[in-house]
Amino acid sequence: MYQRQSGHHLCETHFIEDIQRRVANTIKTRRMIVPEDRVAVALSGGKDSTALLLLLWQLLPTGQDIRLIAITIDEGISGYRDDTIRSAEQLTSRLGIEHHCISFTDLFGDTLDTFLKGRETQACSICGILRKKALVIAAQRAGATKLATGHNLDDEAQSVLMNVFRGDLPRLCRNSGVDSSGKFIPRIKPLSLISEKEIAVYLMLQNEWNELPECPYTRYALRREIRALLSGFEYKHPGTMLHLIESKKKIERYCAGSVLPASLGSCTMCGDPCSGDLCQVCLLRQTFGH
Amino acid sequence: MFKKPAHETISQRMKLIFSDQDERIIEHSPAPVEQILFEVGINPLEVIVSRNGNLISEDTVVGSEDAIRIIRIAHGG
Repeated sequence: MYQRQSGHHLCETHFIEDIQRRVANTIKTRRMIVPEDRVAVALSGGKDSTALLLLLWQLLPTGQDIRLIAITIDEGISGYRDDTIRSAEQLTSRLGIEHHCISFTDLFGDTLDTFLKGRETQACSICGILRKKALVIAAQRAGATKLATGHNLDDEAQSVLMNVFRGDLPRLCRNSGVDSSGKFIPRIKPLSLISEKEIAVYLMLQNEWNELPECPYTRYALRREIRALLSGFEYKHPGTMLHLIESKKKIERYCAGSVLPASLGSCTMCGDPCSGDLCQVCLLRQTFGH
Repeated sequence: MFKKPAHETISQRMKLIFSDQDERIIEHSPAPVEQILFEVGINPLEVIVSRNGNLISEDTVVGSEDAIRIIRIAHGG
């Protein structure tokens, strides 16, 4: 396999070892997982979360009492989610990993498809808010001490650029580290330095690649446009994505304490940690009239 | 961006198979996968490519009677 960033050609074995080494290094240097952690992996069944679960299963040391569990959110997206849930169930069953599935209908009273009628253009924002909340609830119920997501290098770089395009300085300055100050389950992103293409190749080499459908709502997403734009830049100017991530870290340092409030408050309706009076889920509930 | 070596001028038939099972036959002299993708308007970073069931890297030269499968890396968790 050709590794674009290093210019090296790697055989299958060394390509897999290289991915494992880089993910292990990210986990170690950022102290993402420590002994006695109970790590909940957000497993949609798509490529990124599948690779994440597989890598953590391969990499986590035995004898330190670290436990892996998988949690899957069924948003209720017809023609899409059933396939990925089936894939998640098969993977966890093969690896012998405890698996919890929770649905939007259980938590919020209806499916995403229903919530989005007439609001399709806001699909990713609405789904993102509800899915984050669902993941936190599922992780709490499972007794997790860390919540691991499959965000890759492309995702992270796209988020930086999206926040720049939206002029969303608070999000741009938000600390991406593991520290949660005890307010919520810390989120970790062990694949944040691995590109989307490397993940796809890794899965292919592990015989774990499944061609699954794409979410029907992605056609409305700003991220889709940013993805094409950024991927074009990365192709012409290798390193663009990493430079964006490095810029974000510098901005975080320069803005520390000046843009975001020093400490989080609590939502006046549900009590969850948030920076305003109401958390985003309760704001949505008001919009939906729930 | 891509310069053809002088000896690679004979066009050959090549089959491109896309993720949606759409197939396209192109006439092309032997060339790296990256060049073929570029010419059909695909960013090599957004796909993985296999030949006869085996994954191949972007600088692999493909040509005569090869069936090239182009797998789009779908986005969305």
